[in-house]
Amino acid sequence: MKCIVTIELGTNGVRIFAFDLDGRVIASMKGYYPSFHTEPDRTEQDPEQIFITTLYVMKNLLNEHIHPKKYKVACVCFSAAMHSVLAVDKNGNPLGNAITWSDNRAKKEAQELRSSALGRSLYAATGTPIHPMSPMLKIAWMRNHDKERFRQTSKFLSIKSYIIQQLTGEYLMDYSIASATGLLNIHSFNWEADALQYAGITAAQLPGLAPIFGSAGKLKKAYQQSLGLPADTKILIGSSDGCLATLGDGVKGEGKATITIEDSGAVRVMGPAVLKDEQMRFFNYVLTEECYVSGGPTNNGGNIFEWFTRQFGDFTNPFDVEQSMQQLIEEASQVPVGSDGLLFLPYLLGERAPLWNANARGAYFGLNIKHERKHFVRAAIEGILYEIYSIGKTLSEQRNIKSLSVNGSFGTIPFCTQLIADMFNKPVRLRRKFHSVSFGAWLLSATEMGIHKTLDQAARTVELPDVYKPNKQHHAVYADYFTVFEKLSTKLSDEFEAISNLQHKHTVTKAFS
Amino acid sequence: MIPFMLQHGKSAELRLFPHLLELGMRKNGAILLNTFLTTVTSCIRIYYIIEGKFEWRINHQPYFFYPGDVALILPGVPFGSDNGTLEIGSFTWIHLDMQKLENGYIIPGKWSGLSDSEGATIGKMLSLTSSPVLSRFSEAGKILKCIHTELTGHEIGYQTRVNHQLDELLIKMIRHMTQQGQAHPGRDFPQTFMRLEALLREDLSHQWTVEEMAALVGLGTTLFTEKVKSYSGFSPINYLINIRISEAIKLLKRPDISVTDIALDTGFYSSQHFATTFKKLTGYRPSEFRKNHLSNE
Repeated sequence: MKCIVTIELGTNGVRIFAFDLDGRVIASMKGYYPSFHTEPDRTEQDPEQIFITTLYVMKNLLNEHIHPKKYKVACVCFSAAMHSVLAVDKNGNPLGNAITWSDNRAKKEAQELRSSALGRSLYAATGTPIHPMSPMLKIAWMRNHDKERFRQTSKFLSIKSYIIQQLTGEYLMDYSIASATGLLNIHSFNWEADALQYAGITAAQLPGLAPIFGSAGKLKKAYQQSLGLPADTKILIGSSDGCLATLGDGVKGEGKATITIEDSGAVRVMGPAVLKDEQMRFFNYVLTEECYVSGGPTNNGGNIFEWFTRQFGDFTNPFDVEQSMQQLIEEASQVPVGSDGLLFLPYLLGERAPLWNANARGAYFGLNIKHERKHFVRAAIEGILYEIYSIGKTLSEQRNIKSLSVNGSFGTIPFCTQLIADMFNKPVRLRRKFHSVSFGAWLLSATEMGIHKTLDQAARTVELPDVYKPNKQHHAVYADYFTVFEKLSTKLSDEFEAISNLQHKHTVTKAFS
Repeated sequence: MIPFMLQHGKSAELRLFPHLLELGMRKNGAILLNTFLTTVTSCIRIYYIIEGKFEWRINHQPYFFYPGDVALILPGVPFGSDNGTLEIGSFTWIHLDMQKLENGYIIPGKWSGLSDSEGATIGKMLSLTSSPVLSRFSEAGKILKCIHTELTGHEIGYQTRVNHQLDELLIKMIRHMTQQGQAHPGRDFPQTFMRLEALLREDLSHQWTVEEMAALVGLGTTLFTEKVKSYSGFSPINYLINIRISEAIKLLKRPDISVTDIALDTGFYSSQHFATTFKKLTGYRPSEFRKNHLSNE
């Protein structure tokens, strides 16, 4: 019996799934690796720890579930978080840690470039919003502020490129991950000269480009032995988590959009054309040469509710964040739809789409004497989801969205899924059993192996069994309040800037321990 | 028990014990003001409540103490009560000087019979304690009483026995914290886990046991193992091996340190143990792996 193994290099760890050829999960395992915040605005991960953890989890999964059941691994396929940068020397050895997507060190570079003509033309060419997350900006930062490392760097990789290079010896990057670096021209599928110039590097300093169906090379002998995989095991380079989550929800085709809400969130659509936007609000990433994944990301998702829980949750029992969140959600469900007119702006971490304003801040608005503690809870959840809705609304100016799917730990909480259905006034589908990203990687592998003829056909087989239907009355209430929410979020722009400046001015920066 | 107070430099009983700065017992029959003032010291202070109910502030936080409870005050932490109020009741206490390390941790001094690694672990765990209250801990009272008896009795072997009792007190405190799971009440496991990860990395050459790791985050071994497994996907020991090999890989990619040194620095028993573990996971012998990565393969 053959099986397909998918490796998902995520933000908090690696998840490895084994699927049979019908797309059923045989087994899955995860391994955690940490992020290090050595200074404010910095988020890094240890590439060796990611590699060893991946190898370890893979070995355990194969030894415990695959080899004993006599499965033959036909294909291994990778997915990974976008926007990471790892500098390596001429021997391929890492120069320090990998810089991950949430790292903000290049915020000054981003601010300057965003308001320039070059910024606009780079956005149009590369599809990556001008934001500190962009590897192009991180490399430019390194050139300006970490000169010794920049000078020694032979290649700038992504975390996935490094893991693949360790396993097979090849320096490669797939189109999806490459299209999220800010360095790839998403129309010609070559490195963009102006972007390279801005970053101060040459194309030779980047890995070779490969389509998502491309081979990542052959496993080195030592790993064939330690993993017990034959030399002819196909290693697919795969795609990015964002693209594969969209594919995994079967979003390919007209009228579909998917909402992901984990710590942060995004609303995505797929299609043959990129979304053009004067205000540079959307990303356009490459799945294949004929298919782009486009949408808007938010900084403020489940992490904001987690913050709320830490501040205001019940701490009397031995505390467990998830349990406390559950209690708060029960509390919120006792409050009428619309929280009796209490609104929450969730911009605690600044905001990306659709505002793209790092100075945006949170607020409660509309408070009256009848509001109770529980209203604050519900308003917090509603605020996070209004923001998701506002991204969806701006997307629907360019795409006709008829149906929605939801994934991610926060979005798939039933209470939240229902709210999304009500706000959008559209049915929302989801799959509770497993991760959309890994299923997307399965669809990709199955297509490569000929089980499906095309990705289109593969995506059409996706069934999302659980459906949440919108409640028209609730929708009417949310629609009313949303008009105020939307106005507030743009109207307060000057005050956001003023308060953010004052916060910087009057906050004594704590020494980082 | 009759009230008493022995102080280093004043009381002859303490001459042989420079680390034992103060030992006392106090009975208070009426509420007094301006008596129990807030102070900061460089030693650790342990107060055991015999009778009554006391409201004390430790590090500016108010806590209530009842008979059988212990207050543990770390070096540099302010301790006292509002307006210096001393409520009715009785308690006994000890002030113990600890050796301070450059990294901020404390260890017992030379007087201690604890092994170096156990002494270091206990010191670390004391520094990481988030709650200064050890409730229902009557053993502490017994030990303090025993120390007093030894100090005043002057019987043969008393010097050794006093120091034994001090070790006993440290060990019992740590065990008590671990059992009641209050060193870190598990409020926020991800953050606790981050802290643990940092501690392990700081001292990777130490032969960590699961018990020690569990104690560091203030959980019982079973619950700790379960939590680590569900959070990280690995058993605590395997997670540790994970970090060890990752660090070893970094060192193998530098030419200036021997494989044996790498093995010991990253906490393997021997270069043989390192080589076996490394090969099992990666398929390479460490020397082979090094050769591949230094010679521009």
